[in-house]
Amino acid sequence: MAVAQRGTASNYLQRAPSPSGLADVLNVILDKGIVIDAFVRISVIGIELITIDARIVIASVDTYLRFAEAVNRLDLNETGGMGLEDLKSGGDGTKRKAQGAIEGAKEKLTPGRDKESEKSKS
Amino acid sequence: MTSSTEAPPTAAAYVYGVVAAGAIPPIERQGVADAPVHAVADGGIAALVSALPPGELRIRRRDLTSHLRVLEDAFAEGTVVPCAFGMVLASEDAVRHEFLEPRRDELVALLRRLEGHAQLNVRVAYDEDVVLQEIVAADPTIAQLREQTRGISEEAGYSLRMQLGELVAASLGSARERDGEAILERLASKAVDVAVDDPGDGVLKASFLVAPKNIEAFDREVERVAEEQAPRLQIEVVGPLPPSAFATLERGAWAS
Repeated sequence: MAVAQRGTASNYLQRAPSPSGLADVLNVILDKGIVIDAFVRISVIGIELITIDARIVIASVDTYLRFAEAVNRLDLNETGGMGLEDLKSGGDGTKRKAQGAIEGAKEKLTPGRDKESEKSKS
Repeated sequence: MTSSTEAPPTAAAYVYGVVAAGAIPPIERQGVADAPVHAVADGGIAALVSALPPGELRIRRRDLTSHLRVLEDAFAEGTVVPCAFGMVLASEDAVRHEFLEPRRDELVALLRRLEGHAQLNVRVAYDEDVVLQEIVAADPTIAQLREQTRGISEEAGYSLRMQLGELVAASLGSARERDGEAILERLASKAVDVAVDDPGDGVLKASFLVAPKNIEAFDREVERVAEEQAPRLQIEVVGPLPPSAFATLERGAWAS
């Protein structure tokens, strides 16, 4: 990913001229822009193959337990860093660890996936 | 590039977007289904189109990217009103007579409104560890539950841990809302329009429509927010992009 970093906040600010991951591309071109209902939309054929808004919905119980574990893991006596620099130095790959799995799932092409049943779980 | 000899006149036309006729040089890139892109003009405006092969088209990842790249090429040269991915008309004739002609006034108005403007997509997320520390520090109940649940077995501490997690999740939720709104307000002050998306697990996900003269100011504001909020926030800015989130016609008007 072509990410330009500059300024003192570079660790916390990432800029890209153009979306690179499939989820980000879809975010720009799908259902954004002029739409006409008049004729064939090929999205009807193709887009359903892609789990556009497949949300991995973690049941709230799991969420709560995850947060409990996360705060228990914190070392509050350690001032500052929390090994943050270590986390960040990996760049793209390590940012927002928790979302990695979700992004991954979004990018997966899953033929025949039923979007409605996906939604009804949420 | 404006000739339509590459495809039979009856071929379906995939539409990328609309420009002012003659305003941009020909697009050299191949579009969806690897077909060449050309302009179909009518009454001072032109649609960027490519022919679609007959039969069922299987969309590949590459086609999605092609759509975006064609729009980016046009955007680099001038103003383009993007169409959503997947807009197809029966023929080039239909592009002229069912799209450009009947919708000319609205399309011209959109071209004028979007002229030179860029879309910047902003995503803001927490550095979870940093924000969780803030939450523990700010809430004595959470801090106490945390102490109680540390070092006891998962089974023994289950309900306490559930209680702890629920409180943390609620705290995190309201912090996200608060921070999201504050950042939205600051960035929106440098933009002409904003389209907010569901941020999911994040703090804010929004597209900003920014005037050419304000792009630098917008960028500086993002940088200021990032500096002030470091290390608790991660901000990601994508753009300048063709303003697809702001290219909308009255939906009802399209019903045929």
